[in-house]
This record gives sequence, structure tokens and C-alpha cells, in this order.
Amino acid sequence: MVTVLALVPLGVSTFTLSVATTALIFALAGIGWNVLSGFAGQFSFGHAAYFGLGAYTVAVIFTKYSISPWLGLVLGGLVAAIFGLLTGWISFRFGLKGAYFALATFALAELLRLTFNNFDYVGAGIGITIPLAGGDSWGSLQFEDTPAIRYFVALGLVALGTLAVIIIKRSRVGSRMLAVREDEDAAASLGINPLRAKLVAIAASGFITAVAGGYYAMFLMFVDSDLAFGPFVSVVILLRPIVGGVGTIWGPVVGAAILSVLGEVTRSLVRDPPSFLQVIEGANGLDQVVFGLILVLVIIRAPDGVLGWFHRFRTRSAQ
Amino acid sequence: MKRMNILLSLLLSLVLVAAACGDDDAGTTTTAAASTTTQPAAEETTTTVPPAPVLIGAIHPLTGGLAGAGNRMDNGARMAVDEINAAGGITSLGGAPLELISADSTGAPDVGQSEAERLISAGVSAIIGTYQSAVTTNVAAIAEREGVPLVIDVAVDDSILDQGYTYTFRLQPNATSMGTNGAKFLSELGGDEIKTVAYLHDDTGFGVSVSEAFTTAAAALGIEVITDITYAPFSVTDLTTEMAQAAAGSPDVIVITGYYNDGLLAARAAIDLEVDVKAIVGIAQGAFHTPQFVEDFGADAELFFNSNYHFNSSDPTVAGILERFEARFGEAMDTEAMLAYQAIYVVADALERAGSSDPADVRAALATTNIADHFLAYPGPITFDDTGENINAEPVLMQVIDGKVQQVLPIGLRETDPVFPGTSWGS
Repeated sequence: MVTVLALVPLGVSTFTLSVATTALIFALAGIGWNVLSGFAGQFSFGHAAYFGLGAYTVAVIFTKYSISPWLGLVLGGLVAAIFGLLTGWISFRFGLKGAYFALATFALAELLRLTFNNFDYVGAGIGITIPLAGGDSWGSLQFEDTPAIRYFVALGLVALGTLAVIIIKRSRVGSRMLAVREDEDAAASLGINPLRAKLVAIAASGFITAVAGGYYAMFLMFVDSDLAFGPFVSVVILLRPIVGGVGTIWGPVVGAAILSVLGEVTRSLVRDPPSFLQVIEGANGLDQVVFGLILVLVIIRAPDGVLGWFHRFRTRSAQ
Repeated sequence: MKRMNILLSLLLSLVLVAAACGDDDAGTTTTAAASTTTQPAAEETTTTVPPAPVLIGAIHPLTGGLAGAGNRMDNGARMAVDEINAAGGITSLGGAPLELISADSTGAPDVGQSEAERLISAGVSAIIGTYQSAVTTNVAAIAEREGVPLVIDVAVDDSILDQGYTYTFRLQPNATSMGTNGAKFLSELGGDEIKTVAYLHDDTGFGVSVSEAFTTAAAALGIEVITDITYAPFSVTDLTTEMAQAAAGSPDVIVITGYYNDGLLAARAAIDLEVDVKAIVGIAQGAFHTPQFVEDFGADAELFFNSNYHFNSSDPTVAGILERFEARFGEAMDTEAMLAYQAIYVVADALERAGSSDPADVRAALATTNIADHFLAYPGPITFDDTGENINAEPVLMQVIDGKVQQVLPIGLRETDPVFPGTSWGS
């Protein structure tokens, strides 16, 4: 698989590479979401909180203190992990579950959005523009005329994130997360500390998603409170693993690949439709409608994600 | 598990190959289209090969909350391209026609960025856009990185050009100019009668940067901002509470900065509450100077002020453009659309002088732009300083008087005397 993804940059346009890079960044954010919501079963509707903290950390330390974004990615991950631990500890101690936990995470992301939108130190409503370093600079994570490098860095981060998730899932704490997801009371009766398992999940989840956010800031060269913490960001993040397959290792990556290709195909279809569809040319917004319809179909036909559908299809044809 | 992984990688590769093919297809269809257009022409005139069209990209919010303004701007750009082509194209390039590629930012900076990259991959010589500061900030970074000039038609935030970019040029006045000139107009208008101001503005880069510039300039003129209220412009559905809060401190004047829809909400709230102030003044407000505002609000729109960029309504050429726009698209042309129209003419002028469609050459020509016969109410020609700001870009103060948006300040561009103090419901 890595070889296939590594071959992508050959002979494609900057635009295609940019779309592929965005897909990888949100795949990574989805990988992070999947740890908390897929493995530990705590549905988060506010992962923009971690994504945004990562984005702002990278942007702030690079523009204000000239610290390398590489360190920023790690620092942003830590900030998000600590935020996750604090807010998670409060939510789980008060027994927030299901829809209530989801709403709490949503509220926290909105709280951060409003705070950052009025916080002068981080540019308030104007946001932060990351200055061009000029030329290729690995230290400042900027590459001129070589968008392929941006893609490869994103690919590397996704590989690391996937590796981390494989390790977590196979580890003892990973099994505890799955036990808590299946039946928290039963898990507790077996001597598992559900709070600890959930806190590990939220910290790891926040860390990975924040790395994605940090890299997104470097990719866009700009961050503002909507791009970082907007409700839409949370939706974009959770849709990837849901379409791909919740709680699976590869679900977020598959979901991201499918959704970004789908998005681009519907958009280019409206821009330059084939001759028999000439009427829809330039029908702005129609692409989003078509995209939404296809999405609904996918979710109805494959409620456990494309991977789940694929798995069922395979077992059926094997019989 | 292993087999699962292999199958997955197969699936992923299929998806990605499909994506790559999709891109290739697009490439071949454009070349095919290009060859079909060139062949018949080549048969007619065997000696000369007709010049290839020069591609210009236009990024505006064609869907979402700002779609109305975005589509008018896109139409403005389209009309300019058609007119330039009808007049013979770019002479120095052998009469090469312009071809506009429109892109939809959907109002989101990340979409704006990927659209900019799409346009650049398609080979545009320049990009115009984008109506929003956040989107423009992003597109300007891409333009700089990829070396393709960006002519900003509308986007106010100073910081876009504070980055030291060499490929970005701005037609409209920046936030500092909007804020400081707005403060100056208030002091000229009210004299000692305006001492306190309540400021209501959107919380995006647009409203924040303009209000900051205003507050600083106003303080120097003895005008104090006693209340500062922000709102989220794209999700707000009612501004009654905010307007009541602004009026609560009994300011002399309420100043409003924001986009079109939220401007209508603010005006509606002020009218409903009949706020007790000497005037309602928009500064870089997206609605109070538009023909649509007067049409929607009728007599209620009377006496609203707006200090904003404006087309030069005293110029007969501009009157002709307004007529052609309305005849073709069935709605009145606003200043935003005029700025997009103007931006195409600025790019065409640069192409003409450069004699090349290479983005770097176009950039060099843009840097030495000097257009005196432009369509905007500025005190001088369109010409850019080292940072890319249009040196002569300044707002004018307008007021709705007798059902018409009329220029009232500065004196040189005055169409009629301002009415102050005054609101449509008060004295």
C-alpha cells in the first residue's frame, strides 16, 4: 500500500497533489478520532478542539518565536493531550456518556473557537498568517516548487499515526479500551479501570489529531478560528472513519481516500460535465448536493463503513 | 488480517488511480478542445496561427452565505473579459483573447487554496479575487509560492500585504484607509456633535481590522468608541440584542462594519428599535451603499450613511457599464462587481504592456501599472506601491437621500449635501 501511495506524485498536477495531501491530513485526524471514538467507544463530536490546538500551537511558536514546526507538531500534540486529559477527566468523572459526551465535546470545541476568535495574542478574528521562509527549508517545513515533498511528509505522518494505532490496539491498554467500549460495567467488574482506559484513549486521540492540525496550518500557511475549531472541522474529521469503518485500523485512511476523490469528482463534474450532462455546467452548489446524496447512500448501504461492507461481502461470497 | 490488508491496498490503489486518471482525462479534453478550435481557423488563414487564449482565474464565493455578491463579481469579471475580447483581445499578443476560469471558494480559505492551485495548474497568467480577507490571505500565500500574480478586487485586511509578498496587488482601500478615512468623514460630518460612538462589527478579519484602524484614528480626532460589539456574520440570524446593547450607552452615532446580509439585519434592528442616535454610519459596510438595500428597505433606507469603496457615479463611462451589466444579468451592478470588472482591465493592461502571458512578466508589468481612466471614485490613477497597495485607493462617504445612494464626502466627489443629524425615523 505504501508503494502505491508513494507513486501518487508521479506525473500529477500540483492541484491533485494538494487534494491528496489534504486527504492524508484529514485521514490522520480521523485516525486520531478513531482511537477515542472507535476503540474506546466515546463518540466525539468536537475533535476540532484538538485539531485547532495543534494548528495554533504550530502557528504561534513559528511566527512568534521562530521555533521549528517539527517541534511545534510535538508540542501541539502535547497541548492537545493535556487538554484532553483535563476535559476528559471532568466529563468521565461526571459520567457523561453517548450523546451527552458528544455534546460536551462539541461545546468545548465551540468554546475554544470563540476564545481564539477574541484572543488578541493569536490574532483574534484575523488569524495568523505563516510567513514564507523562501526556498526549500526542511527546518521550517516549507518547500518551494516541490509540492510532492508536502505530500510525502503528510504520508509519513499518516504512516506514523497508523503504526501508533496498531501498537495501541495490540497493547494491553488497547484491549482495555475495547472492553470498555463493549461493556463498561462488565469491564469494571473484571478489574479494569474504565476511567484510566478512557483517559489514555483521549490523550492519544488528541495527540494524533493535533499533529494533523499542526501540519494543516503549515500546509495552508494560515490559520483562523473557523479553520481550526469550526464545527465543520469536527464533521470532516469524524466522517472519514465513519465512511471507512469505525474502530478499524485502516478505516480513516480508506474513508479519507473515498471522500476526497468523491468530492473532487462531483466538483469537476459540475465544472466540465460530459456532453449529455451539459445542463449542469456551472450549477454551483449542485456538486455539494450530489456529494451529500452519495454520502447518504453509502451510509445507508454500509452502516458499518466501507470496510465493514467489504468484509460482509467477502464472507457472503465465501459461503 | 494479511489478506485484508492486501485487498485494502488494492482498493486504495484503484481509488487513487481513478483520481489520477480523472486528472489525465481533464488534461486530454482541454488539449482536444484546443486543437479543434485551432484547426478550422488554420484552414482559413494558412499563413498565421491564431494566438492561444490567455487564461485568467477568478476566485469568488459562488455558493454559501456570500453567493449573491460572489456571483455578481464573477459576472462583472466575465463581462470585462467579453468586452476586451470583442474589442480585439490583447494587441501586443497578436490579438489573443482572454479566457476566464471561474472558481468557487465556497467562502472557505482551504477551498480557496485548492481552487487557486487548480487554476495555477491549469496555467493561468493571473488570478483575481476573492471578496474575503481570510480566503485572500490564503490565496496570496499560494500566489507567492507558485509565482502567479494575484489582483485583489475586494479584501480589506492590511496584514495580507504585510507579509512582503511581491505577487499580490490590491485595488480596494485597505483596512487602515477604510478605518482612518471613516473616522475623518465622521469628524468632518459632525464637527463637535460626534464625541461618542458605539461600534458593531463582524468578528472576522474584515471587521476586526477595520474597527481597530477606526478606533485609533478616531481617538486622535477626539471621538471615543464607548461600546464595541462583535457578531459572527455568516451564522447570525438576528441583531436586535446587539443593536439594543449598542444603543444602551447613548452614543452619538452607531458605526457598523460587516458584510451584506448581516448589514441588512443590523439596519432592520436599528429601524425596529428606532435607536436614539444622530446617525447610523456604515464603515466598509457591505449593504448600505447598494441599490439592493434601497430597493429592499424603501423609505426606511433613507439617511443611512456608508463610507466605502465606490464606483465613480459621476463618470458617464461608468453609467454605461452599469447599464450593460443590468441589461445582461438582470440585476443592478454593485461596487464589488465593478471592482472585479476593473481587476480584469488591470490584468489586461498589464498583459498588453508585458507582451507576454508569462506570470512573472505579468507581475513585473502590474508593478508599473498607471491607469488614470479607471471606474472607481479614487482621487488619482490606479498605481501600486512596493507592497502592492493601490496608492490612491480611498473610500467615499455615501448617504441614501431621496431613494438614491449619493456621494456626500469628500467635497470633490460630492453629488449632494449630507443630511446630519438624521435617521429615517428620527428628526
